[in-house]
Amino acid sequence: MMIRLLTMSRMRIFEVLRLLVLGCNSLAFVKGLTTLTQYKIEKLTSLDGIHTFQDFVRGGLIEYLDVNEQNNALIALYEGEATSETTHIEIEPFTILGVCAGLIPYPHHNQSPRNTYQCAMGKQAMGSIAYNQFSRMDSVLYLLLYPQRPLLTTRTIELVGYDKLGAGQNATVAVMSYSGYDIEDAIVMNKSSLDRGFGRCIVMKSYTAIYQKNYENGTSDRVLRPQRTGPGSERMQILDDDGLAAPGEIIKPNDIYINKESPIHTTGQRVPADGQQDIGYKPAKQTFKGPEGESCVVDRVAFCSDKSENLCIKFIIRHTRRPEVGDKFSSRHGQKGVCGTIIQQEDFPFSETGICPDLIMNPHGFPSRMTIGKMIELLGGKAGVSCGRFYYGSAFGEASGHADRVEAISETLVKRGFSYNGKDFLYSGITGCPLQAYIFMGPIYYQKLKHMVRFSSHYSSGPRVMLTRQPTEGRAGNGGLRVGEMERDCLISYGASLLIFERLMISSDPFEVQVCRKCGLLGYFSHMLKRGICSSCSNGDNISMIKLPYACKLLFQKRASFENPFYLNEFMDTFDW
Amino acid sequence: MEGVSYQRFPKVKIRELKDDYAKFELRDTDASMANALRRVMIAEVPTIAIDLVEIEVNSSVLNDEFIAHRLGLIPLTSERAMSMRFSRDCDACDGDGQCEFCSVEFHLRAKCMTDQTLDVTSKDLYSSDHTVVPVDFTDSAGYDSSEQRGIIIVKLRRGQELRLRAIARKGIGKDHAKWSPAATVTFMYEPEIHINEDMMETLTLEEKQSFVESSPTRVFDIDPNTQQVVVVDPEAYTYDDEVLKKAEAMGKPGLVEIYAKEDSFIFTVESTGAIKASQLVLNAIEVLKQKLDAVRLSEDTVEADDQFGELGAHMRGG
Repeated sequence: MMIRLLTMSRMRIFEVLRLLVLGCNSLAFVKGLTTLTQYKIEKLTSLDGIHTFQDFVRGGLIEYLDVNEQNNALIALYEGEATSETTHIEIEPFTILGVCAGLIPYPHHNQSPRNTYQCAMGKQAMGSIAYNQFSRMDSVLYLLLYPQRPLLTTRTIELVGYDKLGAGQNATVAVMSYSGYDIEDAIVMNKSSLDRGFGRCIVMKSYTAIYQKNYENGTSDRVLRPQRTGPGSERMQILDDDGLAAPGEIIKPNDIYINKESPIHTTGQRVPADGQQDIGYKPAKQTFKGPEGESCVVDRVAFCSDKSENLCIKFIIRHTRRPEVGDKFSSRHGQKGVCGTIIQQEDFPFSETGICPDLIMNPHGFPSRMTIGKMIELLGGKAGVSCGRFYYGSAFGEASGHADRVEAISETLVKRGFSYNGKDFLYSGITGCPLQAYIFMGPIYYQKLKHMVRFSSHYSSGPRVMLTRQPTEGRAGNGGLRVGEMERDCLISYGASLLIFERLMISSDPFEVQVCRKCGLLGYFSHMLKRGICSSCSNGDNISMIKLPYACKLLFQKRASFENPFYLNEFMDTFDW
Repeated sequence: MEGVSYQRFPKVKIRELKDDYAKFELRDTDASMANALRRVMIAEVPTIAIDLVEIEVNSSVLNDEFIAHRLGLIPLTSERAMSMRFSRDCDACDGDGQCEFCSVEFHLRAKCMTDQTLDVTSKDLYSSDHTVVPVDFTDSAGYDSSEQRGIIIVKLRRGQELRLRAIARKGIGKDHAKWSPAATVTFMYEPEIHINEDMMETLTLEEKQSFVESSPTRVFDIDPNTQQVVVVDPEAYTYDDEVLKKAEAMGKPGLVEIYAKEDSFIFTVESTGAIKASQLVLNAIEVLKQKLDAVRLSEDTVEADDQFGELGAHMRGG
């Protein structure tokens, strides 16, 4: 808790603000700055650190201002801009931005919404999360196999340690159109780059099993040694003798990872400790329900106790994935796109120096987004790799030397034998002929976002609900995608009656019923007489067989049970029986 | 169109040849041939690479798949690859890839016993076949052999252990980049540069200097004796048009004329070390010939007629 007293002398207001979390900007106090001698700055920057940042804050040379105070201060961006009215000077303009926006190179050259998008997207990027990432037991953990530090860095990146624990890779990007699978921000990826480890990631998921110790009657769960032979043993291949899955084993869907049993009766008469052998147990095996056709590996098994002091066994299951069509990638400029296709290296364009891009991005991504920062990043990255140093692109950094200017970058490029504008002369990998245009090509830091198609896409011809015989709902239940009322309305208005028929009945819950043409009620098919019978007419003279959705039949029967049946013969004229 | 032959007789002139690097000219042919050669070098010249890994013990920081992926990318000496069989076509074994005709077995055992971090490198891989071993870079690149200890697979700290068995198989770069023998294969059209000497003489020395400096690569220079602009290295020209733009800006269009010779190519081939660069080119030609043979053989068969009948009719103008 923090209480801030705020006086606004001009308006004669005295405010007391009670704030829980307060975002503050650290600013140098202009009055103090004049007394800040060279001596003190040397002390601050020297390694023995006689004066620290805190000393300056305590000494009143540096002051934290919150948003309200900033309204009453006249702040100069740079020392040279300070006048006699100025109350404060920014220590450094890039400190205006926080961690998320600080990762963007040249953000002051981008359209502002793009920076906002990147601030949200940077948090979804995969990379290294911490030095202890392999000792952690997160419920889901996404990691990149070969994270890199960005070629085009900012001061913020160094300050927050993003260069030590990065979340992306420097991809050589060619800005051109290729194959048509790059429309709507899709990117074309080089298969060889993927083979060599670009965008590979590890997904670790934790599965928990609880070993309940004290049921009401004193009984407890037990974990059994697995059957090695006989029926059911093939699903227990990965279990150790202790009944738990062994680390390092490859686990397939429907494999059992804990061979647990629970007592049948958990309530009632207390069972003495020595009588526990005689009570009945029911199997409570837990099976792995992972993606079909992928090999996951048991990474770790850990024991802990939960809040009710029960033994809790956690299984970390790891899965290494290479990028596939549909996976989402993004640069640091709010430019996300999915992988549209993956193409062999020999089909990719190449330069005469042998450079071949890792991915191709469509140039239509630029005009409306106006992410000039991305273009400068490409240019600076290219200059950086060619001369062997990291270029900087801190926010508002050109004036203070924390961002390299395009002129300087271009000069380096020309010195290294590239064109000043970052464009290269490329040959088509398919024909071997030169491309019609010069291609803007260079490294851009790309992030792999944690939305991967394998976990998001869904199609089904799967299970059905018992009651209605219609497909189940939702992705979790491997269910179908509903053609709802509005979708149905669209199809009706379009006149696509056969499609409605197919979606709403044939592919859903078709059912055959016997209908009596005379009374209009549902009958039944007698297997003994091999014909339909109407139970209300007690004969089978006027029986017709029709197909309808099972849910519809259900409705008819429900209505009939409320003594308010549908009389199907009312529709006799409309339908051809 | 029958009877007309488009056969040409390409010439190759080798400029530079090292174990892992080759530069040569390919003349009297067109882009399709040059590109076919390039594509085959990248994607279809077979090499041997680790394809199956059985991990016995792994207590390192990297997980099993990670290590397996890294092992796969280690280049192995593959002079034998052309004569080896693909394990899918091998009759001598039952497809487990453990026979001498189609696979090579590797063993790796490493355990760190000291407080110093142990680097497990490609030198720790023991091969069952002395002709297929991890590529040794020490002699070719001029590194000090005591420093350079091969490609690092993983680092172990005290008590960590890695023990595994790996099977290397023959494959091609099309299936996985680890089987590609080419680090870089590229070509360029040979540029032909003509200086209009008369027009050039109308320039002052400063203008000549700024003209020479307008090219990002050193294509032109000024002869210190005659003060004439001369072409020092036409191949340094990257088709960037900078000098042409400069000439135009100086008000002298046509000062230089630059053409790409459409029938001569300068190839640069860098090998991963799996096979020698020269052998890579020869193998590529061999593979290309085999592919063309396959086309020729199927040309007059009935199946080909069925398959390409309509297309053939279309090509004949039907």
